[in-house]
Amino acid sequence: MKFWTSQSISDKLMRMTLLVSGTALLLAYISFLLYDVYSLRQQLMNAMATEANIVGANSVTALMFDDKQAAEITLSALRNSPQIRAAVILRPDGTRFARYLRDPSVPFDLTDRLSLSETQHFWTRGRDILLGSRIRFQGGWVGTVYLLAETSDVARSAGRFGLISAGMLLICFVLALLATSTIRHLVSDPLTDLAHTAQVVTRERDYSVRAKIPASSDELSFLVQSFNEMLEQIQARDRALEASRAELEQRVEERTSELSMTNKELEAFSYSVAHDLRGPLQHINNIGFLLQHSASENLNDQGRMLIDRLLEGSKRMSGLIDDLLNLSRASSHPLHRRLIDLSEIAEAIAARLLSEKGIRLVNFNISLGAKIFADEGLMQVVLENLIGNAWKYTSKQDSTVIEFGSVEENGETVYFVRDNGAGFNPRYADRLFRPFQRLHSQSEFAGTGVGLATAYRIITRHGGKIWASGDIGKGATFYFTLPYAGE
Amino acid sequence: MQRFSKAGLLRLNRCHLASVCALAAALLISAPPADAQPPKPTEFDVKAAYLIDFGKFIRSSSQLPRSSFDICILGRDSFGQALDALASNETIDNLPVHVLHPDATDAKSCGIVFISALEGDNIREDLALLGNADVLTVSDASDFLQRGGMIQFVLVQNHVRFTVNLDAVNRAHIVLSSELLRVAASVTGKPPAGGQP
Repeated sequence: MKFWTSQSISDKLMRMTLLVSGTALLLAYISFLLYDVYSLRQQLMNAMATEANIVGANSVTALMFDDKQAAEITLSALRNSPQIRAAVILRPDGTRFARYLRDPSVPFDLTDRLSLSETQHFWTRGRDILLGSRIRFQGGWVGTVYLLAETSDVARSAGRFGLISAGMLLICFVLALLATSTIRHLVSDPLTDLAHTAQVVTRERDYSVRAKIPASSDELSFLVQSFNEMLEQIQARDRALEASRAELEQRVEERTSELSMTNKELEAFSYSVAHDLRGPLQHINNIGFLLQHSASENLNDQGRMLIDRLLEGSKRMSGLIDDLLNLSRASSHPLHRRLIDLSEIAEAIAARLLSEKGIRLVNFNISLGAKIFADEGLMQVVLENLIGNAWKYTSKQDSTVIEFGSVEENGETVYFVRDNGAGFNPRYADRLFRPFQRLHSQSEFAGTGVGLATAYRIITRHGGKIWASGDIGKGATFYFTLPYAGE
Repeated sequence: MQRFSKAGLLRLNRCHLASVCALAAALLISAPPADAQPPKPTEFDVKAAYLIDFGKFIRSSSQLPRSSFDICILGRDSFGQALDALASNETIDNLPVHVLHPDATDAKSCGIVFISALEGDNIREDLALLGNADVLTVSDASDFLQRGGMIQFVLVQNHVRFTVNLDAVNRAHIVLSSELLRVAASVTGKPPAGGQP
């Protein structure tokens, strides 16, 4: 089967043509040969019968008057028939009367004889034919002549026909070559071109190429035409896709620039609002402070309580403004990366917390040597937020453990801040990092809801990721990564 | 010459002629075993057969209607019954063959006249009587051809053969088949110059 599958179409066609014509020739050769052998045999038998009649007619008187010499002269005329090897004339009583041998060294034994009822009979002895024929004269018979002839050489006629067949096979071969070149022109070339085109299309995704349409108007040209049409459709679709993608990209770009502009305006606005709010708030704060210290004797208890609440509110608002400014700075502040030690920053924060609010028993567990390439000021903000959160949400625990460290995960250093505080409902874990979203009430744990959003913004700007895990009452762990290449 | 029983004669003939052979084939059933060598035919058995065979190679210009082909023997008949036996089974030109013993004067209507060698000097006389009649004259006399006879039996190496005098044949209006001449031991005289009559 490989013979048929591994070749090109034109080769297959040529082989097929040669095979068919070769088979036809072989059959013709064999049948001609058989016919030739048969007809030569028939011709020989006819010739033998004629010879026997002539010899017989010329031997009548010799037989009647017992003239062997005359009979042998008659027989010697058979020398002109090269196929007759031997002849013998028998008297009616079966004794030999005269004999002829083409080759005297080859004896001729008469093994077959005519029966009394026969006048003529042929025997086949291999390649030889023996004829027995009565010599008739005036209604009776005066003797019998036997002729032994050899059929003409089968090998010779086989050779002759073989030569003719070989010649015809050569002609067929030439014709097959011509036919193949025609077929190649009509079928194979367009197919090869088509296959080549298909290959180019597949390999280079170039839909602009076209297969050459053959001159003939057969299935092949239809195929090529269909293929080209298909390519055209694909090309058109491709172009439409390209156009719509470009349009989409342009639209996205437009939207992005619009958005970032709006974002910047918004940030600038919130910054200026926060910044501008500070002055009047400071004013309120100062007046409240003055009222509390210099005029509190003139006020009753309710008045003093109101002033306390005013000051408290003013303080909270100040914290909120600080946080907002931090958030704003986290978004707009340019990154100044350098090698910093997060462990040192965490230690400093822990020391400050302990000294400022040292009434609690807090066990800080900070692993050393967390060096990283990042903006120091912003990372300070991140750690302050995370460790500050941990401090805040462990405030109701009897003993507090706050941990800072790093683990290697998937070839990446993941830093974490872990506490054993109130934790959070993991269902809302994604809300943690949105600004002003809080999972605990103000009365439970005071806060602005901006800290984690700020940390998120800073880590994201560094090209890192931040996420949290934990459960209610089981503490919380905040993880972040900081790749060296950032924004 | 010895006399033969009929069956014995036929065996002796060794089927030399087709008709004889056919008869022999019929009679061989009662013949002695095949390995018994049949006796060689005598000289006169052969001559008898030849006489009848000659008749088959003659064409005569005679217009006379014949009812039989007569073989006439002048002088002493040395054939015995051999000739009669053969003749009774033969036809020549579809005519039955009769063996007669007429006087020389009556022999003109015969097809073949055999003159015995024992006739001696009478041979010349007999031939003269026959004249130019359309009769084939045959004899075994040694100087038959010189005396104007047509066919003479001779012995060549103990074989019975014959010689032909064409001049004598031509004088009578007889045509001998060239086939016959081909097997003659010798032929004297010239063939007719003006073709066949």
